[in-house]
Amino acid sequence: MPDVLSVIDRFRPAGAALVLAAVLGFASPLAALSPTRVPSPKAERITMDVGDEPGRISTEEVTIKSGPFARQMVFFRSNEAPGTIVIHTSEKFLYLVMPNNRALRYGIGVGREGFQWSGLVKVTRKAEWPDWTPPPEMITRQPYLPRFMAGGPGNPMGARAMYLGSTVYRIHGTNQPETIGQAISSGCFRLANGDVVDLYPRVPVGTKVVIRHAAQI
Amino acid sequence: MSVFGIRGLRALAIGAALFGSAGLASAGTLDEVKKRGSLSCGVSQGLSGFSEKDAKGEWRGFDVDVCRALAAAIFKDPSKVSYVPLSPTERFEALKAKKIDVLSRNSTWTFEREAELGLLFAGIAYHDGQGFLAMRKQPTTTALELGGAAICVQDGTSTRPNLADFFKTNSMTYREVLVTSPADAVKALNEGRCDVFTADQSALYAERLNLAKPDEATILADVISKEPLGPAVRADDTRWFNLVKWTLFALVNAEELGIGTATVEDAPKSAKPDVRRFAGVEGGFGKQLGLGESWALDAVRAVGHYGEMFERNIGSQSRFGIPRGLNQLWSNGGVLYAPPMK
Repeated sequence: MPDVLSVIDRFRPAGAALVLAAVLGFASPLAALSPTRVPSPKAERITMDVGDEPGRISTEEVTIKSGPFARQMVFFRSNEAPGTIVIHTSEKFLYLVMPNNRALRYGIGVGREGFQWSGLVKVTRKAEWPDWTPPPEMITRQPYLPRFMAGGPGNPMGARAMYLGSTVYRIHGTNQPETIGQAISSGCFRLANGDVVDLYPRVPVGTKVVIRHAAQI
Repeated sequence: MSVFGIRGLRALAIGAALFGSAGLASAGTLDEVKKRGSLSCGVSQGLSGFSEKDAKGEWRGFDVDVCRALAAAIFKDPSKVSYVPLSPTERFEALKAKKIDVLSRNSTWTFEREAELGLLFAGIAYHDGQGFLAMRKQPTTTALELGGAAICVQDGTSTRPNLADFFKTNSMTYREVLVTSPADAVKALNEGRCDVFTADQSALYAERLNLAKPDEATILADVISKEPLGPAVRADDTRWFNLVKWTLFALVNAEELGIGTATVEDAPKSAKPDVRRFAGVEGGFGKQLGLGESWALDAVRAVGHYGEMFERNIGSQSRFGIPRGLNQLWSNGGVLYAPPMK
């Protein structure tokens, strides 16, 4: 889910951010699955320092057109059935498994350090231009966020959303396409609006979603 | 007297064993490298992303990082490498003539090069293969949709017969447009004389950047030939061969274990046996290679794990943006598989 980093920035050095999140009882049960680790200075430097911008307009047409995060067909060996979604959090890619060792790959924005998770869920609901109701744990962390925002081009949830299991996490669009390829969200997976519009009809409710994270030492 | 005799024999046998091993070791590449104080690494004369000199005159790239990882494993210092730029024709001779210790120069591992030239490939650092760069005008997603296309192919290369074979196998026709160089192919694509260019995928990603409108071209996922690239050594020194091979494996194992630039300093404190062996806290594997116990960590400290090395030089953090594809870990949809360190 989109959110603002600047709140956490005040508590640097970054170890404090996690402590803060823990004190405030952050996130859902799934988030607790991923081991919390103090971000290294290096990881912090590559973190994009940008907050949500509710009201900023991004249309359905915006796609990532060039570079590695552009939508493209890639070679992908997998034991997962075609149609399955595989998300590699550390790589910042979402793969839609296709037959014949192929996958359609989309660049995504993922949870910032401490907000990344892995697991196996299903798409339980789909919505076009979804409303945004930041969950209580996000409001606790970022009290200035709106309690509710109606769907539309200025909504941080973007053009489409696919709800993951019973978690607070979604695969959704964004009104900030420049954040694709970054680790800045609260655990959601965001695609540029044009790309999420492309993915949406390919993913029926019930689709298996595998979220993978790099090994922890 | 008899007791003395047995002792004497034993002493003689031990002495001979010691002398024998010392004799072998002194002829070894590792000892020569250590004595010289630097690793002599054969690289290309300039290939973007793999080995080229940057503006400051320093060698950079994927193949260069393999040299740096080796130097770090041996000396704890990745800068102790002297680079020897080699042309395709002189590269194997230079290795055989001991002008270099290891060849890390986008060379394809083939039967002939091992059996006939007396070389050993230490492993596959990069799985390359012939692919297709197609203009987006037609929404092509696989090479099987290329029937009837005008295809640019470089004359006098193995890519030309590969192309013919692929189309024949799949009962498709195409119009061949012969070009003399990759630059010529880019010109032909810009002018619309051909819709598709076929070459090794690594080259296609580099050439795409030279197009007038790179966004209008896509590189198809299909790979129609096997071009496994990796470092090569002389076949007469298995100890050195093992060192190069296991340094390469270490980079792959590091990615699988989650040991990267950000976590390398925490690795010795890990509770996981795999990670502890890798870090040299347990097992004593460094000594078996003739290196310090932290050799594997030193290599990762220098260049990161395989994934980091890939992304930085040719992957999503570089201007080429080559997808991992086959060069992904076996557990993540690729074919990279390194034996365990135990």
